[in-house]
Amino acid sequence: MSEQPASTRTGPGRLLVAVYALFALSATARAVVQIATKFHNAPVAYLLSAFAGAVYILATVTLTNGSPTARRIAVVSCSVELAGVLGVGTWSIADPAMFPDATVWSGYGSGYGFVPLVLPVFGLLWLRYWARRTRTGATAATPAEHAGDAPR
Amino acid sequence: MSCVNGAVPTTIIVAGLALAGYALTMTAMNRRMSVILLGALGVLEILLLVLVGLIVAKLASGARPASVPTLVGYLIAMPLVPVAAAFWGLLERSRWGPAVIAVAGLVAAVLMVRLHQIWPVIHV
Repeated sequence: MSEQPASTRTGPGRLLVAVYALFALSATARAVVQIATKFHNAPVAYLLSAFAGAVYILATVTLTNGSPTARRIAVVSCSVELAGVLGVGTWSIADPAMFPDATVWSGYGSGYGFVPLVLPVFGLLWLRYWARRTRTGATAATPAEHAGDAPR
Repeated sequence: MSCVNGAVPTTIIVAGLALAGYALTMTAMNRRMSVILLGALGVLEILLLVLVGLIVAKLASGARPASVPTLVGYLIAMPLVPVAAAFWGLLERSRWGPAVIAVAGLVAAVLMVRLHQIWPVIHV
């Protein structure tokens, strides 16, 4: 077995953070351009895009940080993201008139190769791995955990 | 209206997918970052810069896409993709470094398709 990753941003987390950063940048930039140039075309879609961008930014930052508090926030943001992609995905199919222009989460992320659908699942699995590892009295804790954890 | 030379975006798609395939093979074989991967990433960077030059030349000739801010955003972000991937991938001393490089290759290929949607004169 290879060495255990030292933080939520190393090992498989390196890939996860890279993809989250990519979506944080692309969703936010796209929403800013859409809201600034043609907000009235599809206000609901653009506001949802902006919200998605904010959730991706929060997940990127907290997964990079990796402290126990950051991981708790990351669980919330990944859960909101999963609920968002499922909810908006269903909504965009049920009521296409609300979405004359696509969001990241329309059609369950079909415009982005369904990456928005699988990303929160991998994020939550990665965070669960960390939660279990910390609970079982982990090796190679992050500096933040060293500061806070008394020896057991 | 004349088009931007299609050979460059096509080469970027092929190079990006080849890089992603090679990098994912390295991840599967449990290899770390290598000079070969960095070199391939450098080639991708040069190709992207050539394309940025071609598109800027097109803009200088007076032609405009439907959404100028979107295109300008792409022109700025595009050459940063291999640089960011090299930085983030080199920090990782495991098989997941090459996996980050694979993402950059796939993103470069997808960006070519998106560029065509933003401005059809950029065809592949």
